[in-house]
Amino acid sequence: MTPLDWVVLVTALVSIIAYGLYRSRGSNTVDRYLLAGKSMPWYAMALSIMATQASAITFISTTGQSYVDGMRFVQFYFGLPLAMIVICATVVPLFHHARVYTAYEYLEKRFDSKTRVLASIIFLCQRGFSAGLTIYAPALVLSVILGWPERTTTILMGATVVTYTVLGGIKAVTWSDVQQMGVILLGLVISLVTVIKLLPASVSFGDAVYLAGAAGRLNAVTTHFDWNDRFNIWSGLIGGTFLFLSYFGCDQSQVQRYLTGKSIAQSRLSLLFNAVAKIPMQFFILFIGAMVFVFYLFVQPPVLFQHLELKRISGMSEFQSTQQQYQRAFDQRKQAALALVEAHHAGDAAGEERQKLEYRAAQKDLDVTRAAAAKLVEKTGGEKGFNDTNYIFLSFVTKYLPSGLVGLVIAVIFAATMSASSGEINSLATVSVIDLYQRHFKRGASDVHYLWASRWLTLFWGAYAVVFAGWAGRLGSLIVAVNKVGSLFYGSLLGCFTLAIVFPKVRGTAVFTGMLAGEAAIFATAYFTDVSWLWYNVIGSVVVIVIALGITYLGPEPGPRVELEPDPLEY
Amino acid sequence: MPHTRDVPDTPPPFLGSWRRVYTATLVYLVLIISICYLFTRIYR
Repeated sequence: MTPLDWVVLVTALVSIIAYGLYRSRGSNTVDRYLLAGKSMPWYAMALSIMATQASAITFISTTGQSYVDGMRFVQFYFGLPLAMIVICATVVPLFHHARVYTAYEYLEKRFDSKTRVLASIIFLCQRGFSAGLTIYAPALVLSVILGWPERTTTILMGATVVTYTVLGGIKAVTWSDVQQMGVILLGLVISLVTVIKLLPASVSFGDAVYLAGAAGRLNAVTTHFDWNDRFNIWSGLIGGTFLFLSYFGCDQSQVQRYLTGKSIAQSRLSLLFNAVAKIPMQFFILFIGAMVFVFYLFVQPPVLFQHLELKRISGMSEFQSTQQQYQRAFDQRKQAALALVEAHHAGDAAGEERQKLEYRAAQKDLDVTRAAAAKLVEKTGGEKGFNDTNYIFLSFVTKYLPSGLVGLVIAVIFAATMSASSGEINSLATVSVIDLYQRHFKRGASDVHYLWASRWLTLFWGAYAVVFAGWAGRLGSLIVAVNKVGSLFYGSLLGCFTLAIVFPKVRGTAVFTGMLAGEAAIFATAYFTDVSWLWYNVIGSVVVIVIALGITYLGPEPGPRVELEPDPLEY
Repeated sequence: MPHTRDVPDTPPPFLGSWRRVYTATLVYLVLIISICYLFTRIYR
């Protein structure tokens, strides 16, 4: 990081936070603090929804994944437009007309208090777990790439987020998200342009795309079906739809974004903007990774991008032969790539096919030596399941991008972390206040009392996220499983909301029992089978629905609904 | 603590009805999957 990089980074962050706080003036009631007084335009909600979903790991990991495995990950988002249509048609008007602060508040109106509490606790467990990881994961990568102390980075990120989230509430969060999304998009566009400009003069953009495709890095659609394969068109369209229905329809960190809309139409437009923009955006990020792959066809990459582990195993005798094999494979791949481009230009179909085979064989050799080095890291006391995917993009950025742009990319990482984290702690505080504190612990207090409770609980969840991030290093490879952990809880929430909306005869006890059975089914699937986590939501929600319908239609007739403790919200 | 307020339900600013907007989104999804599929087939 040069002084210019620091200027870019600090300027970007300070201006984002200052603007967010400026726009949040007057957040002095619970309604304004938690829902912006329902005054938000569609474009602010749309960018906030996008920024909340895209954490730093989205950018760091997605580009690395494309470098290693190609663009198959884009299929994960094919279910997003389908989910958004269903949500716009059902839960958006439902939540708005119910005049609720949280999705789980609606469950008490529809079912009973215990279903609301169970759903709230499931949300707090799941989102509380990921709130710490949202801050920890980028801090870990920055500590390796730039040598920044992990603890300092997590405290710096956490304190910044907590400051503007506590002071400004959801208005500060939303308007900061808008700015952060601007920085993120600018950083991504400049990154792609720079990667392409860094390619050798003899390799045009068309050649680069051709070479990436020949190495299998542009495999955006795979049509085979496999339960254990995370990314194919079927897991994307079916599993992805269920996951996004859960995330955007039942997760308060997203529901709260679109409940701030000034009308149902504005809320719908914000979601449909994401339905349209998200797939191209992910395609673009993955394409950057594919171009970084082409860049490294002509500039020798390190055997492993996690340089601390590479340094640790470099002195070992076992590594020397791997290093020599790697050098040989890289030289062969480079020659084959240049020969392939020549044959392609000459229109020599037979020569092109021959060179393609050589190019792919050299790539395979290179992958084998990288896998051997990763195995050596594991074998000699490194992390179990070690891979360096998360280090590829930032390693490239810090080594090859010009001064100033490095600062911009680091600002992207900070912006993405803060936008995801602020949405999480803001929604965790909202559920804590609305669904638990004011419902079960302190009923009928004044608006000012709940406003301050919201602020203190925002501070609590922010501090919790920072402390959890400091402790997360001990979780080791569990970090990799953050999406998997999210999917452990979403299925039962989705089943619960589906029953609430689609089956008017179902009562609270049937749903409550179904949710417990759904959770048991998901944990059993995760523990005893190799089924990919994308399918957990499908399995969980189906079990909840089947059990609840079974109890409703086959069990004894339930008595009249009895609500022993009236909800203070009714007064 | 009172409820938050209800908000109006209005037609979309384009295409006339929400049903048409949803249909257009579905058509867009089919189109974008087709483009991704063609992209994969051409560059492999």
